Amino acid sequence: MTWFKKPVSVKGTLLALLLPAGILLMALAWLVHGLLLDRMSRQFVETRLKDEVAFLEHQIRDSGGRLDTLQTGDYFQEVFHHAFAIHSDSRTIISPEHWAPLLMPLVKSGEEGTLRVSGAQIAEAPSDILAYRKSFRVDDQPIVVIVSEDLGALSRSQAELHAWTAVVSLLLILLLVGVLWLGINLSMRPVVSLKAALKRLQDGEISRIDVKAPEELQPLVLQLNQLLDSLDQRLERSRDALANLSHSVKTPIAAVRQILEDIDRPLPNNLRQQMAGRLDDIDRQLEAEMRRSRFAGPQVGKSAYPLKQARDLLWMLGRLYPAKSFEMSTVLTEERRWPIEEHDLNEVLGNLLDNAGKWSARFVELGLEEDGQGFTVTVEDDGPGIPPDALDTLGTRGLRLDEQTPGHGLGLAIVREITERYGGTLNFSSGSNGGLKATIYFPGKTRGISQ
Amino acid sequence: MRLLLVEDDRLLADGLTSQLEKAGFSVDTTSSAREASALADHEEYRAVVLDLGLPDGNGLDVLRKWRTRGISFPVLILTARGDWQDKVNGLKAGADDYLAKPFQTEELIARLNAIIRRSEGRVHSLVKAGNFELDENRQSLKLTDGTEHSLTGTEFRLLRCLMSRPGHVFSKEQLMEQLYSLNDNPSENVIEAYIRRLRKLVGTNTISTRRGQGYLFNDVV
Repeated sequence: MTWFKKPVSVKGTLLALLLPAGILLMALAWLVHGLLLDRMSRQFVETRLKDEVAFLEHQIRDSGGRLDTLQTGDYFQEVFHHAFAIHSDSRTIISPEHWAPLLMPLVKSGEEGTLRVSGAQIAEAPSDILAYRKSFRVDDQPIVVIVSEDLGALSRSQAELHAWTAVVSLLLILLLVGVLWLGINLSMRPVVSLKAALKRLQDGEISRIDVKAPEELQPLVLQLNQLLDSLDQRLERSRDALANLSHSVKTPIAAVRQILEDIDRPLPNNLRQQMAGRLDDIDRQLEAEMRRSRFAGPQVGKSAYPLKQARDLLWMLGRLYPAKSFEMSTVLTEERRWPIEEHDLNEVLGNLLDNAGKWSARFVELGLEEDGQGFTVTVEDDGPGIPPDALDTLGTRGLRLDEQTPGHGLGLAIVREITERYGGTLNFSSGSNGGLKATIYFPGKTRGISQ
Repeated sequence: MRLLLVEDDRLLADGLTSQLEKAGFSVDTTSSAREASALADHEEYRAVVLDLGLPDGNGLDVLRKWRTRGISFPVLILTARGDWQDKVNGLKAGADDYLAKPFQTEELIARLNAIIRRSEGRVHSLVKAGNFELDENRQSLKLTDGTEHSLTGTEFRLLRCLMSRPGHVFSKEQLMEQLYSLNDNPSENVIEAYIRRLRKLVGTNTISTRRGQGYLFNDVV
């Protein structure tokens, strides 16, 4: 629809819709009122004309058909307010008399009932009349009675009434506009305050939106505040990470440079090894911080297809460890989605499976399950397992280099950190074959998103 | 053993070349994707070490081209990106192994020897049935439109069993033998779950159920 321009504001739309609609409806009411008024007054006049004809007939019958005995003149004028004509063979009475040229043709015409004459050009007589004609006999004498009303006068008063209605309608429209304006402004007030709050947020005057929003806008405000929270957290984390990184990377770089710059110094083997060791430190630290910085954590609108990702990872590990079998047991369907960010889920599954693949003798099994409360990932291998007293500390070492034993646990520490981001739990236990069994549980705030 | 090293960092390439030659390889080095493509067409290499970030293209594209042309030498990918998804993509493109930079030369040489050994006994074997092709080496299912699905071990073995004799009814017990599980007594529901998953890949009608008897692969659908 090209004639309907997309409105830019709610207020504009409401006004653009309600105002013309109100005016149109009012105009329609006015028109209908005019038509009804016309019809009603016509019917009213007709009834009265009929009544008066009946009254005249009664009078004439009482007088036995002798028209001269009728009290004509002022009496009838006063009682009737209407022009009339009484005609018998002997006599014709017409009042007022200058209506005669108008009424005589009606008397002579044979038509009965309601008659209408319009557009008559007779001096001093109205051009537009409604008449009621009745003929009857009194003592075998035919008598015709006509009573007529000046329609011009009627429509003049009707027009006046109609005009007054128009004026009242206009006033009502103005009132309607006022009420609309007030209603729209009142109901838009929370939006306006929200808008002002957003402006203040942009200007940095406030850090969170604290507006008593109406029910409809409450989720929006809540979501926005959550988004701001997660942005803040992310900023803080990335600052921490960079600070850590720069702290632990710059020193080894300085040390290595120092040795390389000294051209007189020979490069014996133990020095080479030390330099390589420093570079390894830098690499490990870089790797840990980079993997950490890639975690998304729970995010609105992010989800993953666990079955597809698990299948790809299992397939890949099957290629990388050709002597071992990587299996999946699940009842999930291909289209099932979990509200976990794709990369995060990949890190969890990849690290657990890779770890299991390293230690297993020939078999690793991945289980994906869900119930009404959340999602469970289990990874079990048939390797040597670990002593029960070490189970609790597995993967609890931090990602910081100085908190780690080299070559151990970075993968599991990543899994633990991601799990905690999602408010989940990571548990290790002994598997049925003596191997290690890792169980992760993600609470599902929203139940899985099915397509 | 001839080996192609595709690496655009001169320092790394030189260092690696001398180390690999010490380990008994005879090494050709190139730093561009175009040259790598051309070399692989004309020379017989036992293995390739491929860097992914090349100045004139992506190593994965080069690898895909080799594989579609049927060049089957084992390829080890070197990259600075150690993401799980990157690894999956690398292997799906046809790589045999994956090593993230930085690495130790001993590990590279050990992995190279492993993939060369693995490739030696390899015969290109395909199981075909209907519109489907099962690639034993890659453990994957190819459809006629060229799409490839990776399969887990059990999925692959079940499908291979069914596709080996299209139209033949396999009982649940027979199919159970293809199943490895940590659980000693896997239930028949497990088979049903696998069949459901396989049907998602090949289409519902391709694997039919014979009530009370078992399943069969329909190659005429």
